[in-house]
Amino acid sequence: MNVIEASELGRRYGSTWALRDCTVAIPAGHVAALVGPNGAGKTTLLNLAAGLAAPSAGDVTVLGGQPAGSPVALDGIAFVAQDTPMYKNLSARDMLHLTRNLNRRFDQQYAESRLDELGIPLKRKAGKLSGGQQAQLALTLALARRPRLLVLDEPMAMLDPVARHDFMASVMMAMAADGVSVVLSSHVLSELERVADYLVLMSRGRVQLAGEIDDLLASHRLLTGPAAEADRYAERLSVVHARRGEAQAHLLVRATADEPVPSGWEAHPVGLEELALAYLREPAAAVLPGSRPDSARRRALRSETGQRTEVTK
Amino acid sequence: MDIDKGISAEPRRPAGASPIEFRLDPASGVPTYLQLVHQVEHALRLGYLKPGDQLPKVRDVVAALAINPNTVLKAYKELETKGLAAGRPGQGTFVRATLSQVALPELSGLRRSLLGWLADAGTAGLDEDGVVALFTSVLRDFYKRRGGEADRGAASGETEGVA
Amino acid sequence: MTALSVPARREEDASLRPVPWRRMGWVTWRQHRATLAWVIAFLGAAAVLVYLAGRQVYSAHAAAIAACQSASSLTCPGSIIAFNGTNGFLSNGFMLQAIPPLLGAFVGAPLLARELETGTFRYAWTQAFGRWRWTLAKLVPLAVVLATAAGVFSLMLNWYYQPYFVAGNQNLSLTETTPFFPGLFDLRGIGFAAWTLAAFAIGALAGLLIRRVVPAIVATLVAYAALAFAAGGFLRQHYLTPLVTSNLNLPGSAWIISQWWTKGGKFAFSGWPPDRLLQQYCPNGPSGPVGPFGKSKPVAIAECLTPHGYTQWTAYQPASRFWAFQWIEAGWLLVLSVLLIAATVWLVRRRAT
Repeated sequence: MNVIEASELGRRYGSTWALRDCTVAIPAGHVAALVGPNGAGKTTLLNLAAGLAAPSAGDVTVLGGQPAGSPVALDGIAFVAQDTPMYKNLSARDMLHLTRNLNRRFDQQYAESRLDELGIPLKRKAGKLSGGQQAQLALTLALARRPRLLVLDEPMAMLDPVARHDFMASVMMAMAADGVSVVLSSHVLSELERVADYLVLMSRGRVQLAGEIDDLLASHRLLTGPAAEADRYAERLSVVHARRGEAQAHLLVRATADEPVPSGWEAHPVGLEELALAYLREPAAAVLPGSRPDSARRRALRSETGQRTEVTK
Repeated sequence: MDIDKGISAEPRRPAGASPIEFRLDPASGVPTYLQLVHQVEHALRLGYLKPGDQLPKVRDVVAALAINPNTVLKAYKELETKGLAAGRPGQGTFVRATLSQVALPELSGLRRSLLGWLADAGTAGLDEDGVVALFTSVLRDFYKRRGGEADRGAASGETEGVA
Repeated sequence: MTALSVPARREEDASLRPVPWRRMGWVTWRQHRATLAWVIAFLGAAAVLVYLAGRQVYSAHAAAIAACQSASSLTCPGSIIAFNGTNGFLSNGFMLQAIPPLLGAFVGAPLLARELETGTFRYAWTQAFGRWRWTLAKLVPLAVVLATAAGVFSLMLNWYYQPYFVAGNQNLSLTETTPFFPGLFDLRGIGFAAWTLAAFAIGALAGLLIRRVVPAIVATLVAYAALAFAAGGFLRQHYLTPLVTSNLNLPGSAWIISQWWTKGGKFAFSGWPPDRLLQQYCPNGPSGPVGPFGKSKPVAIAECLTPHGYTQWTAYQPASRFWAFQWIEAGWLLVLSVLLIAATVWLVRRRAT
C-alpha cells in the first residue's frame, strides 16, 4: 500500500506553481524524508496530502487510494504542521481533551504518561511552553491518535539536539510498536539520515529524486579519474553532476556496482548527502520513480532534459 | 563499545535484558545496520555475548539511538543470514553461534607483534595517519584476495576498480 | 531522557462512523467560554444601566402626566421639558443600535479569522471530526446563544422605551414617537435579536474570506452598517403597502412615509409646498408649535392651503402594524443569516478535494 500517491500533482498560488508535475508513490512501513531547500514545495505537498489544500492539477491519494481530506484519510493521518500550531490559551490537558473529542481513537494514558516523562506539566498553558515542548506536545497529540500515517512538516526546527533525539526516538518507537508510517520534511538532510529509508528530493517545486534510499545509493556511484578524460566518458555515462579540478574530476553517475568502470578510473559508493547535493546542484537532473517501488527489481532510469543516454539493466 | 552506558544514564536493567548496548558512529560512513552487525560480531569475539544471550529488543535500540526500526530488523536479519542469531517469535532475537574466538595468550602475542610493527613504522618516518592509510590499503587488498566482503555497500558483494 | 511509553496497539476500525456531533459541544464551549462570558457581562452591565435610566424616564413621565392633569397647572410645562429631555442620548436609540453589530463582529469575525491567522486551522481541520462539521458545530450554537442573549437584553429595551409610545403623549406635547422610528424599530420586539444574529453571520463569513481578525471585524461593521441603512431607509417602508389618507390628524405614532398635495384631483406637488404658494396663501408663515423632530406640524400649513382647494394626502404605516413588520424583518434576517452560515460552511468544505 502506498501511504501517499501523487500523480502529476500541482498546486498554483496566483501565477506561481509551488508544486508541479509531482509523481511519487511513498510506500507504507517506511520513514520517508522529504528533503529540499526552502521553497522547494515540501510544505505544499504535505498540505495537499493532508487535505488542507486542493490540487490545481493532478491528484493525490493517501492510505492506499483514499482521496486526500476524506473522512478515512483524516482519521488515519495525523498531521503536525510547521511551527506546531496550538491554541495558546489552552492548557496541555485541555489540548488532550480537545484532541480526544475531535477523533475516534485517542490513547489518553499514553499521552499523559508521555507528557509526564517529558516533564511537560498538564496544567500549563500551551502558549507558555517552550518551542521544544510545544513540538513534543503536538507530537504526543498526533501519536495518541494512533494514526496509520504520521506527517511531520519540519518538526525539528525548534528543537535542541537532545530534544531532537527524544523526538525521533518517540516517532521511531511508535513505528516499531504500532506500524505507523512516517513522512517528514526537512531542509537539513543530515538529521534525517539515520532514520529515513525512503527519500523524496525536491527542488523548485519539482521532484528530482524519489525512491528507497538503499536503491538510490546502490544505483549511483562516484567515479574519480583524469579530468582530461572526463568529457569523453561523460558521453557514455549517465552523469548527474561533475566536479573538475585541473587534473582530477569526480563524476557522480547513475550506474550500479556491477557495471564496468573505465580503466584508469576509481569507483566509490556514494553517500546520501553527497547524492542529494549533487542533484540539488543540477536542477535539470531527475529520476522519475516507478509507480511501485520494488527493491528487488531494477528500474529503467530516464533522465530529463540535458542529460545523456539511458542506463538500462 | 560501551557496556551499561547508553546515550543517557539508563535505569537498572530488568532481568532478561541484553548484555550489550549498541552505539552509533554517524560520521563513520558505514551504514547503520552494518555498524550494528559489526558490534554484535565484535561482542561475540570479545566474549561479551555468548550463545543463548538475547540481543537488544528492537524497541529498546530504537528508543536509545532514535534510528529506524527497519534498520535494526535489517541488521538482525543479516545476523540470521550469517547464522549468528536466530529470532524466536514473540520473544526476541537470540545469539545462536559464536565466532571463532581468539584465545587470550594469542591475543597478547598479536598485540605485542603489532606494537613492534608500529615502532618500526615510526622509525621509518610514518606518522599516525600514514600508518592508518597504509594499514587500510593492505587490509583491503588482503581480504579482497581472500574474497571477503567489502565493508561498504549493500549486502550483495561489490567490486571496486582500483587504480 | 528517553520516552519509553508506546501507544497501545491499534485495532482495525472498519466502520467509519462520523465522530458524534456532541463532542464538539465541549470544544466550542472551551474555546469560546471567555467570549461568551464577556458578552453576558457586557449585556448584563448594559441592562443595569438601561434599567437605571429607565426608572428616571418612567418617573418623569408619571410626573408629567400628573402635573398636566389640569390645563392651567404651573408645574406642567416644566415637567414636560423634564420628560422630553431625560436621557436624550438614549432617546433616539442610535447608541444602542451599535450593540448588535459590535456583538456580531467581535464574536463572529474572529471565529474563523483567528484560526486562519494563527494557523491553528492546520490542527483543527486535520482531525477526524472534519472541517465543515467542525465549522457548523461552532457557528450554530454560538449563533443561537448570541441571539438569545440579545433577545433577552432587548426585553429591557422594550420596557425602557414604553413611555414614548403611550397614546396621548402628543396631546400633552410630550414626546411621542412612532414605533417605526429608524433608531428604535430594531431595538424592540424581536428585531434586536434578529439583527444580532445577522451581524454574527456576516462576521463569520467575513472572517473566513478575509482571514485576518481585525480587518474582518472592520469589514463586518461596514457591511452591517450598509445593510442596516438599506433596510431602515429603503426596504422597511415597503414591507406592506402603505395606507393612504387625506386625514390631516394622524396620530404621532404613525410612520409617515410620504406626503403630497392634489388640487382638483390632479397632482400638485409633494412634500413641502413651493415658496410661491406659501407666499400666496400663507403670508404670515405657518404657525403653530413645532413637533419634536423639527417638522412644522402639517395641520398648520393645511389650514392655509385647504380653503383654496388643495388636498393633502399622506402615505403612512399605522402603529398597529409594528409587529407585522417585526416578523417580516426578522424573517428575512433569519433567512439571510442561515444563507450566510450555509455559505460559510460550504466554502470551508470546498477547500478540500
